[in-house]
Amino acid sequence: MKPVYIAGAGMTKFGRAEWSLIRLASEASLAALHHANLGEIPVDGVVVANMGAARVNKQTALGSALVDQLALCPATAEAVENGPASGASAFKVGCQAIASGMADVVLVTGVERMRTVNGLEGTDFVASLSHPEAEYIYGVTLPSLAGMFARLVMDRFGVERKHLAMVAIKNHDNATKNPYAHIQQTVTMEGILTAPEAIVNNPPIAEPLHMFDCCPVSDGAASVVLVSEDVAGNLGGSKVRVAGIGQATDTHAVHDREDPTDLKAVRLASERAFAMAGLAPSDVDVAELHDAFTILEIVESEAAGFFPRGEGHLALERGETALGGALPINPSGGLKAKGHPVGATGVAHLVELTWQLRGEAEGRQIDGAEVGYACNFGGFGNNVVATVLRREAE
Amino acid sequence: MSDRVTGGKCAACGTVNYPRRLVCSNCGGETFESVEIGGQGKVLTYTDVYALAIDYETRYLRLAIVELDDGVRVTGQLLDDDPTLGKRVKTTIGVVREPGEKKILGLQFVPA
Repeated sequence: MKPVYIAGAGMTKFGRAEWSLIRLASEASLAALHHANLGEIPVDGVVVANMGAARVNKQTALGSALVDQLALCPATAEAVENGPASGASAFKVGCQAIASGMADVVLVTGVERMRTVNGLEGTDFVASLSHPEAEYIYGVTLPSLAGMFARLVMDRFGVERKHLAMVAIKNHDNATKNPYAHIQQTVTMEGILTAPEAIVNNPPIAEPLHMFDCCPVSDGAASVVLVSEDVAGNLGGSKVRVAGIGQATDTHAVHDREDPTDLKAVRLASERAFAMAGLAPSDVDVAELHDAFTILEIVESEAAGFFPRGEGHLALERGETALGGALPINPSGGLKAKGHPVGATGVAHLVELTWQLRGEAEGRQIDGAEVGYACNFGGFGNNVVATVLRREAE
Repeated sequence: MSDRVTGGKCAACGTVNYPRRLVCSNCGGETFESVEIGGQGKVLTYTDVYALAIDYETRYLRLAIVELDDGVRVTGQLLDDDPTLGKRVKTTIGVVREPGEKKILGLQFVPA
């Protein structure tokens, strides 16, 4: 396999977009292309990540649409739909094109514009990833799967609502340092949990999860430019290498898993990514996890190998995952506060890591970060892509 | 509209696959006998979900994963005003979703 590097990264501000779906994708792509500064080097292919455009925006074949918008024809183009893991899946497809030698420069852009429909429609669109006969017909939505998961984890491992609130507080704090984040507002333990008015500020969404345990519904796009070793050498500057990618799947229905509290696909995907990279979880300086729900950040941090099982909430409590801690998690603000435009999320993880490894993350920069890890969590854990990035000496 | 929920019992190893698949997740077998899913069991976990999808006019739904006594696990709607983890329940069949004029039947759980 040939080495793959990230030469540029860019994104739109997440939130409610005025732009069309393809305008969002194009703006993020241009930001990444400008960042990469390719000059006369041609783009060989475009891979778009998206989950819901066919249903929500009534638009299909997004690769073809984007390649033309960017005037990159006749470059290759395709779109990847892999639920909430679409972003990192598309990234993997782009990496495979370069690792195989079929391409030297690939643009990977994730995009979602889901605030065009009302909340019921939006929730239903994401719920359509659940098992049609064994889950969906009962009214299962992603928050409900997260709620049932959270109750079991909390009962088994002593995680309390205050720990969930700590994730939200941390990630909201981080987001205020990220100009691209959807929510730019800090929250406090009093405001969302302990004060009498907390139940009004923070109503239940899927017990025991409340509003501030859940990511917002966001529009947005994120993009990276992948290049071969030759192109990376010609471009010079900081070289961020795709050191490892791992992916694993699990049963479609959550109830079908031997232990529904075990995020097995996160564990296996991470083991594979670290094995490919020749690195261990202890080598990681910064991590972007898929905190669509606060409980997921805690359990993913264990399944990825950073903390022993059942102890993620203790590391959080000790401040280890805060900016300035031993392993900062979600410096971008995470899905919780940066936002979660579904198809863009997996790419946005890698945008943040690229900026962190290049020392360009400004107010939230982790000093000297060399190794980054991302977990893009599809389904409710049935399809997970883990990625390890590493900065190489110039 | 079916008034029974079925799984596939693998002819080779006896594992009940629910939801059904064409290949047994335990042994790779491809021959199944259709078996009815239901009976008594205990609540493995549950939630009151307020973030509802389309087709529901209620304020929230109480959903649960139940582990049946035969080891099969199922997701369904919990009809119990006082739910707790581990509580004994039994399955019934009722209307679980009403898209438009249609009525979809599925598993509901009531105290045993």
